[in-house]
Amino acid sequence: MKISWSRIWCLVAFEVLRLFTTKRGLLALSAFATIWFIILYYFVGSASAMVISPSFESMASQLFGALGLTALLDWPVAEYAIYWLVALYFFPSFALLVCSDQFCSDKHRGTLRFITLRTTRAELILGRYLGQLLIIAILILLTSIATAILASVRDVTLLSASLQIGAKLSLELLIVVMPFIALMSLLNSFVNSARLAIVAATLFFALGPLVLAFIQYQFGQVFYLNWLFPGEQISSILSQSSMATSQYLLPLIQTALLLITSHLLMKRASL
Amino acid sequence: MSLIIDVQQVTKQYGDKTVLNKVEFSLEKGAPVALVGPNGAGKTTLFSLLCGYIQPSSGNISILGHVPGNSALFGRLSALPQDAQLDPRFTIAMQLNFYARLQGMSNKFAKKDTARVLDMVALSDVVNSLPSELSHGMRKRATIAQALLGSPEIVMLDEATAGLDPANAKEIRAIVSEHASEVNFILSSHDLSELERLCDQVLYLDNGQLKQHKTLGNNDSAGFLTLRMKQHYSEIMPAILQIPGVSQVSMTQDKEYLLTISNEQGKLAIEMDLLTVLASNNWSYAQLINGKTLENQLF
Repeated sequence: MKISWSRIWCLVAFEVLRLFTTKRGLLALSAFATIWFIILYYFVGSASAMVISPSFESMASQLFGALGLTALLDWPVAEYAIYWLVALYFFPSFALLVCSDQFCSDKHRGTLRFITLRTTRAELILGRYLGQLLIIAILILLTSIATAILASVRDVTLLSASLQIGAKLSLELLIVVMPFIALMSLLNSFVNSARLAIVAATLFFALGPLVLAFIQYQFGQVFYLNWLFPGEQISSILSQSSMATSQYLLPLIQTALLLITSHLLMKRASL
Repeated sequence: MSLIIDVQQVTKQYGDKTVLNKVEFSLEKGAPVALVGPNGAGKTTLFSLLCGYIQPSSGNISILGHVPGNSALFGRLSALPQDAQLDPRFTIAMQLNFYARLQGMSNKFAKKDTARVLDMVALSDVVNSLPSELSHGMRKRATIAQALLGSPEIVMLDEATAGLDPANAKEIRAIVSEHASEVNFILSSHDLSELERLCDQVLYLDNGQLKQHKTLGNNDSAGFLTLRMKQHYSEIMPAILQIPGVSQVSMTQDKEYLLTISNEQGKLAIEMDLLTVLASNNWSYAQLINGKTLENQLF
């Protein structure tokens, strides 16, 4: 299968344009900015002050200890401990919403008929996926920079440490989010609207564990089917106590599998 | 002459329903080709197969030596698919520019080519409008413009003039005939007189089967004249039958008569005699067609 990177770049650039030039994209951006202003101002800013305050130290240790997150308290930049806790759950959910229309409405409207005369279906899926990934990467980076600024305002000597930890967490967050965007790509190949894609994703995450529990109960055996679910490793990486490569391999493998399945479905789909 | 489209035994089924049944034809480079047939005959399905939007259940299709959807066809084959709409969130110019970039044009050239095709369909004034701000006809012209981007070798237009006002439909027909020498157009329309004017070949589909594949202007209708009158005249048929060389006259539809000529060599004399008969009786005619109309050839 021959892939043209110039065509993929065209698709990626158009996706970014979609976010910054369309009414819907700008609305999503404003909602995102508002939510993150609240998170940074009220949670990251004030909560980090609590974490480093001697009077709250024992309470914070107990709380983080109960959650298995004591490693986070050792970070030099406390703001990032709170940022990590919030971002790790926020960005996957946000990605499910923002990346819900990768090509389903274009397929429904017939716009894909114009596009597929100029690009292969594999390029379309990959281009749209990478476009969404780039958008989420930009947003992650922006929130990470904002957190670094917040920490530097408190103590300017933390700037260099903030930038280092911010870059590391941004990359880790991006890897976490990757299979979520790929899942929406897969759902887009058999639904006709963004709304339906969100409903399908909700059902997948809500009913999936129940189905797994039922299978386990029925056969009395663990099939490791939970590895099919994006975000399965989130609880393990939350504590940041160790850097197991396997915990980052899983989302990458999930992403590849989801995108390949999406391509196989779209390859023979009627447009 | 080089083969541009080769369709071999193509069948398309949706469940138990056979939409196209062992369709087989090949088209060579040349004048526009008309694809005609009643509603539900399989015209749009055939267009979709040729564009690679759907896969045949069986059979083979080759376009310029490649299977439909192959990247080698990008920029060489373009189409106006029926009912396909542009993205309502982007301006016409942005979308056409994007398509041009996908075809491999540089940003500068893409903008230039977008302006060129929009000018061809008289939409230069609305380049920065959203599709929702345009009328149905204007949106249709914008989608025709996307099919003209770059220099395609084959352009398939499915019902291109449907829903357009007469002036714009005429403009589209002018674009087709103007570019017919360098582009291979394949047109589907219910307007047979339009296809008759533009096309040299006709593919007639009925009930999923290719019933006829004929070249217009060949000898099939050489022994006929079609006469269209402005009004109905009750004595016209016996009068025409009196003209030497006219063996039969039949009324094909209201105010339209098909004359069967027994002596093709004397056709010019028959035409002159016919006009003389009309003039002497003060009967006004609308049109005299050499041969049968496409409608009469097909149905």
